[in-house]
Amino acid sequence: MPRCLPVLATALALAAACGGVQSASVSVSVSDQAGRPLHDAVVLLEPATGKLPVAPLAGVQIVQVKRQFAPQVSVVTVGTPVSFPNDDTVRHHVYSFSPVKTFELKLYAGVPNAPVVFDKPGIAVLGCNIHDQMVAWVVVVDTPLYARSAASGKARIEGVPPGNYQLRVWHSALAEGAPPTSSPLAVGSTDLEQRAALNLVGPGR
Amino acid sequence: MSPWWQRSIGGRIIVLFLGLLLAVQVASFMALRASLAEHAHRVLPEKLRAGERLLQNLLDRRAQTLLHGARLLAADYGFREAVASNDAETIVSVLANHGARIGATEVALLATDFSLRATTTSEARHLIPLAERLATQSAASGQASAITLRAGRPYQAVLVPVRAPLIVGWVLMDFPLDGQLIADMQRLAALDLTLLARASAAEPWAVSLTSLDAMRAASLAGQPWLDDTGEAAMSSVAVGGEELGVRARTLGVGRETDTAAGVRALVSLSVDEAVRLPRDLQLALIGITLLGIVVFAFGSFFTARRVTTPLRGLADAAERLGRGDYRTPMLGLQRHDEIGELSQSFERMRQNIAENQAQILKLAYWDSLTGLPNRARFREAVNEAIAAAAPGSAVAIVMLDLNRFKHVNDVLGYRIGDLLLVQVAERLNRQLVREGDLVARLSGDEFGVLLRAGEPELALAVARRIEQSFHAPLALEEHNVDMGAAIGVACWPQHAEDGDALLNRAEVAMYAAKSRGSGPLLYDPSVDVASAQMLTLITELRQAVEQGELRLYLQPKLALESGLVAGAEALVRWQHPQRGLVSPAEFIPFAEQSGFIHTLTMWVFEEAARQWRQLSDEGIELVLSVNLSTRDLLDQDLAQKFEGVLARRRVPARGFCLEITESAMMDDPERALVTLDRLSAIGFKLSIDDFGTGYSSLAYLKRLPVDELKIDQSFVRDMQTDADDAVIVRSTIDLAHNLGIAVVAEGVENVQVWNMLRELRCDLAQGYYMGRPMPVDEFLQWSAAAAALRVTRAGDSAVLH
Repeated sequence: MPRCLPVLATALALAAACGGVQSASVSVSVSDQAGRPLHDAVVLLEPATGKLPVAPLAGVQIVQVKRQFAPQVSVVTVGTPVSFPNDDTVRHHVYSFSPVKTFELKLYAGVPNAPVVFDKPGIAVLGCNIHDQMVAWVVVVDTPLYARSAASGKARIEGVPPGNYQLRVWHSALAEGAPPTSSPLAVGSTDLEQRAALNLVGPGR
Repeated sequence: MSPWWQRSIGGRIIVLFLGLLLAVQVASFMALRASLAEHAHRVLPEKLRAGERLLQNLLDRRAQTLLHGARLLAADYGFREAVASNDAETIVSVLANHGARIGATEVALLATDFSLRATTTSEARHLIPLAERLATQSAASGQASAITLRAGRPYQAVLVPVRAPLIVGWVLMDFPLDGQLIADMQRLAALDLTLLARASAAEPWAVSLTSLDAMRAASLAGQPWLDDTGEAAMSSVAVGGEELGVRARTLGVGRETDTAAGVRALVSLSVDEAVRLPRDLQLALIGITLLGIVVFAFGSFFTARRVTTPLRGLADAAERLGRGDYRTPMLGLQRHDEIGELSQSFERMRQNIAENQAQILKLAYWDSLTGLPNRARFREAVNEAIAAAAPGSAVAIVMLDLNRFKHVNDVLGYRIGDLLLVQVAERLNRQLVREGDLVARLSGDEFGVLLRAGEPELALAVARRIEQSFHAPLALEEHNVDMGAAIGVACWPQHAEDGDALLNRAEVAMYAAKSRGSGPLLYDPSVDVASAQMLTLITELRQAVEQGELRLYLQPKLALESGLVAGAEALVRWQHPQRGLVSPAEFIPFAEQSGFIHTLTMWVFEEAARQWRQLSDEGIELVLSVNLSTRDLLDQDLAQKFEGVLARRRVPARGFCLEITESAMMDDPERALVTLDRLSAIGFKLSIDDFGTGYSSLAYLKRLPVDELKIDQSFVRDMQTDADDAVIVRSTIDLAHNLGIAVVAEGVENVQVWNMLRELRCDLAQGYYMGRPMPVDEFLQWSAAAAALRVTRAGDSAVLH
């Protein structure tokens, strides 16, 4: 996933800048209710109090290729502009009715003129008005501490300053409109290993 | 009276053919009907099952259509936008709009938890459980449609999610099950569909929709087996006199779990209608039958004709055979069937009969001895010749009768006689040169020749040629026989009007020729007793008797010894008012042939008796001779009639001598003898006239009660010059005298004969020398003068007149 690299790099840079040497990493193994590891689950840490500084990401793209969104699940920070280049030969009509960000990119090909700026935290569900099977989720977070689980179900957040956090886990297979799970997590200077089991309704990915 | 078809083979064949055809047609019709019924009963359940599947299919397709419409609505961007933005007013209007597009009666939007978010109707509470049920059903079977019952009517409802792009709500639509479904069932499967509904098991089934009439549908709704929800192949229901095959299917259930409630579909079909022969098949059968009848009628007609025509031909042929036509051959001989055999049998029969007939005809028409046609054939040939004669032409018959043939037979025997006939036949045939002329043997020694072109002159010439051909003697083995023939000729139309008359005339001419001893004689009415001229003559003769035109003449008979008048021969003369004195030769033969001679004889006798009385009164006693004919001799009552005359005239029998010719007696000697005996007994003298010309034997002569012989004048006339005749006369006189019979010589014409006779002691003489026949008055004068003069021996020629 080459397009994920800048995000990670930014996160690492932030962690290094803020936390100094005392920062720790939090690894979360996300699974479904049956214990199967979940891929593309979003894990994030929100400080129990206060707010960590967040910078918008740059160069985030959700490509339409082979009549699918890629990636299907994106995590961006508030204020991040996301562009929707169309790699297919057919046109797409990307929309979102989600209150987090309602927009509509009417039938287009190639790269639309202006990227869409996700300026509110929350989860936006994107669809294509032409191709019902195309679904993408954009998780807009207001924290720099987040990660996406790999195929092994593991998500690792680096450079977490010690403190009390709310560990939130979300997956697209959660019930429609359901908020991310939330559990308190105290982070010290040592790396933490966490497990999160999600109660899914849709098919796990 | 038997019916017409029994009176003709043809009719029977036609009736049989058509009857069989009809029987076959009826049988095939019945078989077809039975087979169809059996087939219908066999396929009916399957058909109903197929109908049921079709119904399900139709419902599924409707559901698909509804689903499609609902999905279209759920996928509408604007709608989704409205849903996402929760714009209630817009949502309702979109629902109404889409619902109207596909004819949904209710459209509702439900939240993901099936709470009602928007609806086009106000009464939508019931939709929520329905939506929940459909969602459950959909999750379980993917089937998001159902038949449901609302307000007693069946509806089809569908549920689809609204995605944006994840499910954000549900759209529910429902549609009434309408007449289109029934119409489709009828159109696609020709099946009737009835939908029944009830809200609960306690209620009766109500008819929601049906393609049957109300009565049948109601009857179906009342069927008890409707409550059995199990699968049944087919139920047979008698409704309104008609049998229906019915199959039931539960389409939807009522509220909650009340499975006895809900909607049931009944697919039905009239068994009777399925069993009934299709109309076009019936028409085809009728058409085939009619065509068959026409074809069979023609076929059987011609077959019958093939049989009956030759039969009729045979019947006609038999008819022809019956009529005597044996010449027409049978028809149908070339056929190889039974009729051919029958024809051949008929043909053989015809040939046999024809041969037999020919044989019979030969026997009937041909003379086996000479090979000539016989009288019957000759008669036919004459008639044919007359029928075929051209106008103006003539047909002639030459008829011959051989003279002295009997003599040949008697002397030389029958074998030579036969030989003679054969030779005569050959000789006659040689005389004929013309085609169509015919020689026939008519009887024993009688031959006939038919000349088809027979003008009288020609015929007479032929007759003469034939006569000449007889001049050469016939060589019969070692005998040479001179043969002559009496020949008569008659011609049509000159002498006769038809063939039989012509034959008769020729015969008359022939007999005339025979009796005259003349050559060929052409027919003349004067020789024919039956001719018109003859009839006229007889009539006139009768008038002559009645009107006193007849005169009695007397020729004196003198005694040679004394020269005195001893008697006289009474002779009749006819004083015709126009023709003057008619010779007896002209009418006596006719009178003899016609029988009028009786009248004449009686007249002569009566007149002679009157004269005798008169002479006697004057003192003259003479014997008067009266001639009797053959017919007179055969008259049984002659003696009685004569006696009557004697009594009436008061004259004695001895005053009369009755003269009979030899030939007259020879016709029937026995009867003649009886008459002569009677006359002799009365006292008449009897005399044999023309003695010497006949063949009477002395033995017969001896038996006759004869007093006198009259030597025929042919002997007397020439006795002066012919020594033979003189010998005959002398012998006769001696013979008669030896028998005690007096002799009269006739035809004394000169004194020499007179003297010769006196020397021969002949008793009486008669002739012109003494006196010719003369009226009575003249006779009286003559006899007075004679008595005065006395006839002397010589030189008294002046005396006798």
